[in-house]
Amino acid sequence: MFRLCLFTSIVMLTILPAQSLFSQSLGDFREEINIYNTLYDAPLHLVGGADVSLHELAKDKPIILALVFSRCSGVCNPLVLELKENLRMLNLQQELPYSVLVLSFDPWDKIEDMQYMAERFNLTNEPDWYFGVTDSINQVINSVGFKPIWDEKKKQFDHDALLAGVSTKGKMTKKLLGLRNSKDLRMLVQSINKVFIPSYRLPTNTSIFTCFNYDPETGKIVPGTGLLIIIMPVLITWLTVIGIRMAVRKKTT
Amino acid sequence: MQSLLLYLFLILTVVSTSVFIYVYRSSIKAGDKDGGLTNVLTKRMWFILILFVVLAIFFSATVPKSPYFMFKDEIPSKSVNVTAGQYFFYMSYSAINPDAPTSEPIELGVNELVEFRVTSRDVTHTFAVYDENNQVVAQTQAMPGYVNNLRWKFEKPGTYKIFCLEYCGAGHHIMRGSFTVK
Amino acid sequence: MENKFKKITSLWIITVLILFVVAIILGLLMRFNQGGNIKLDPVTFYTDMTIHGLTMIGIWFVAGMAAVNYIMERYVRTSYKANLIAYIMTVVGVLMLWGAGFIGKFHAGWTFLYPLPFKIMWEQWATPLFLYALLVLGVGWTIWTVSLMISLLKKYTLSQVFAWQHFKRDAKPEVETPPFVLISMISLVGVLSCLITAAALDFLLLTEYYSNGGFINDALLMKNLTYFFGHTLANEMLYLGLAVIYELFSEVSGRPKWKTSWYVAYAWNLTLFFVLFAFLHHMYMDFVQPETLQIIGQLASYLASIPSTGVTIFSILVAVYGTKINWNLANLMFFIGTAGWVSGGIGAVIDATISNNFLLHNTLWVPAHFHTYNALGNVLFSLGFFYWFSFQLKDGIIKDKHSMLKILLIVIGGIGFLAAFYFAGADSVARRYANYPEEMASGKFWATFGGTFATIYLLGIILFIGGILKRCFGFVFSRV
Repeated sequence: MFRLCLFTSIVMLTILPAQSLFSQSLGDFREEINIYNTLYDAPLHLVGGADVSLHELAKDKPIILALVFSRCSGVCNPLVLELKENLRMLNLQQELPYSVLVLSFDPWDKIEDMQYMAERFNLTNEPDWYFGVTDSINQVINSVGFKPIWDEKKKQFDHDALLAGVSTKGKMTKKLLGLRNSKDLRMLVQSINKVFIPSYRLPTNTSIFTCFNYDPETGKIVPGTGLLIIIMPVLITWLTVIGIRMAVRKKTT
Repeated sequence: MQSLLLYLFLILTVVSTSVFIYVYRSSIKAGDKDGGLTNVLTKRMWFILILFVVLAIFFSATVPKSPYFMFKDEIPSKSVNVTAGQYFFYMSYSAINPDAPTSEPIELGVNELVEFRVTSRDVTHTFAVYDENNQVVAQTQAMPGYVNNLRWKFEKPGTYKIFCLEYCGAGHHIMRGSFTVK
Repeated sequence: MENKFKKITSLWIITVLILFVVAIILGLLMRFNQGGNIKLDPVTFYTDMTIHGLTMIGIWFVAGMAAVNYIMERYVRTSYKANLIAYIMTVVGVLMLWGAGFIGKFHAGWTFLYPLPFKIMWEQWATPLFLYALLVLGVGWTIWTVSLMISLLKKYTLSQVFAWQHFKRDAKPEVETPPFVLISMISLVGVLSCLITAAALDFLLLTEYYSNGGFINDALLMKNLTYFFGHTLANEMLYLGLAVIYELFSEVSGRPKWKTSWYVAYAWNLTLFFVLFAFLHHMYMDFVQPETLQIIGQLASYLASIPSTGVTIFSILVAVYGTKINWNLANLMFFIGTAGWVSGGIGAVIDATISNNFLLHNTLWVPAHFHTYNALGNVLFSLGFFYWFSFQLKDGIIKDKHSMLKILLIVIGGIGFLAAFYFAGADSVARRYANYPEEMASGKFWATFGGTFATIYLLGIILFIGGILKRCFGFVFSRV
């Protein structure tokens, strides 16, 4: 028995340091603000000349909304670039359709600025990608719960990198703050396609022995190290039973 | 629904207990030479087979009604964030900072799909919704480190109460909250 | 040799019965407080609740083990030393638990669901004392379990001990496995798994306790471990009681001994497997648990009950139907216990259905069903054994006095006590509430109702165990 306890302890102690902390998504509780609100149905001017409202655009395919401004020297460029790369890598369009709307939140931006931006990213002829501006940007960012602050010294907006998922009915289903990996992006695309994710782990939960992890790469729940601890007692029991039998047989023969 | 389950239980219990009493009485009446049942095995197999079939029907009828599958293909019109803590429920339409939780009055529409996003800031609690007849209508656990999404449509207007059903300390029984449905 | 085992078994019985009466009284205090008949402060209530639960689960587990150990001596030689060590460690462990509870006011419930033991609302030392008490009990019981396994495996090979040679329909194997050996071994395997799980759980809790915030556990994992240990242990202790019935029912009734048939072998081997997954039904309301596991939980809860229950109930009914039997308090307890076990099982299957659990989880329906197969099931199995055993200390001839009265008090008291739980549970009254809010006013009525009937039950129990205690005490202090 004592040997057994010792064995258990050793197994656990070796698992402990070997574990690296799971990489946590950067999101925090602010991502919950205004979830499931209907976004303001703003009239949009899109690069290429089309005038359409936000809800009309979402009707065909749900939207990934990226809020940027053209003179941004900070996070906007990496945000759009990463979005482009990640979406290409995930290749979800067949299974979970979406379109991408890159919308300027800077009232000074003109449609030409956005046209230039689209060209810079080489996205002008990409289907499902829209660049645009709107006259009612304040209503849009209010309904998203997005608060850029103008910094007079730097002549720049101080703002979060933000992606928002918009369903075909114009509702915001998920937000991602900061530059995020493809796994989180997949979860966002799932949410606008009405895939119900009944629960998730909070980013503050950094325990190393979790039972399950949600893997958005495949959309499945995968076993975590904690599951091993649940299965282990049964394995140890059977090893003990077999071990005992082998030991007593040796003694009797 | 609860009273239906109670009747189901009472009926099945009375039936099974009657069988035991009947069998007992048959033993009391039996003479020295009575040998009891013959061909026991066939009867035993029938018994298990019937039990199996009944449970299989019960299983396939109830699994689709599990809360994880309810309202799966709809997008809720509202989300309510719930953070449970010893011994309060904080509820808000916007996100709740677990370190400085705040609450606001919640008002929901009749037959509107609501998603409760339930978590805990300390120990495990339950978010259990009671209707005006003081019956449980829906519940989910509030577990620290996790968010449980409970989707529900309230068919009747009124004031709904919330109680904690997972033992959480000496104030467990005073923990409560409420919201209205109009 | 024989007397040594009779003495230690008598000691177990005396200890179990005294603790049983104390634990019932704690239960009565709780019910009468809920009914508003007496007034306890919430901390006292929840401390009582914690000790009531732990004591009950502990004593009926060791009662099953002690009975199995005693009867096992008929087939193999068991270790007296291991039995004695388990006894001493159980007494020490229980004293530590009671110290943590009654003196330290530790009140995290018997399931001590993580992270409640660490939200210290009691004496600082009570949490570590509690965790070490679990360790002491766990170690003592593991030694006992493993030693009994060794005894069985010395005589039977692996395939024999699990009765695999009986799988063929018309098998006439050289070595027959008595049903008692089969069921004992299957229960012991389950018990060992629970105890190792408890060790892992205790280890994780202690690590967090001493890490000063450096190591944090995952709540979902801890809950899974807690119920794998708690649920499975409660399940296995019932199976230990059934092992005794398979051995003694026919013997006490003056009928030919039961044999292991192919379907008995199959049924119990299936149970060995399914029982490991039944605990998942405690996690239904944790939506974070993957859906597949939830459905497996419902399926396993059904399947764990069908084979062993079906075979056992039917065996008993068939053995009794139209057959002249020497009825006495021992086999009547077995018979009534089986009926009670079935009723509890019906309540359990209803609650182990996810869509019903959505409404019944953690209402009084839960204590309703598990009190049914304890108070009117497993307890009666053990009482039947105690009764039979106490006559083995004299001449082995069972003499009943006032048996009708004792049975009536236990059965009527038990039914009223349990009905209060079911009716209140169906009325959404929460379990584990020191006082009921006005929304659960019906709970008050049912608490007084249940408490009153539980007093009748207690009366019946005291009458029933008086003679047993007298005979056991007499034997322990005799010079044989």
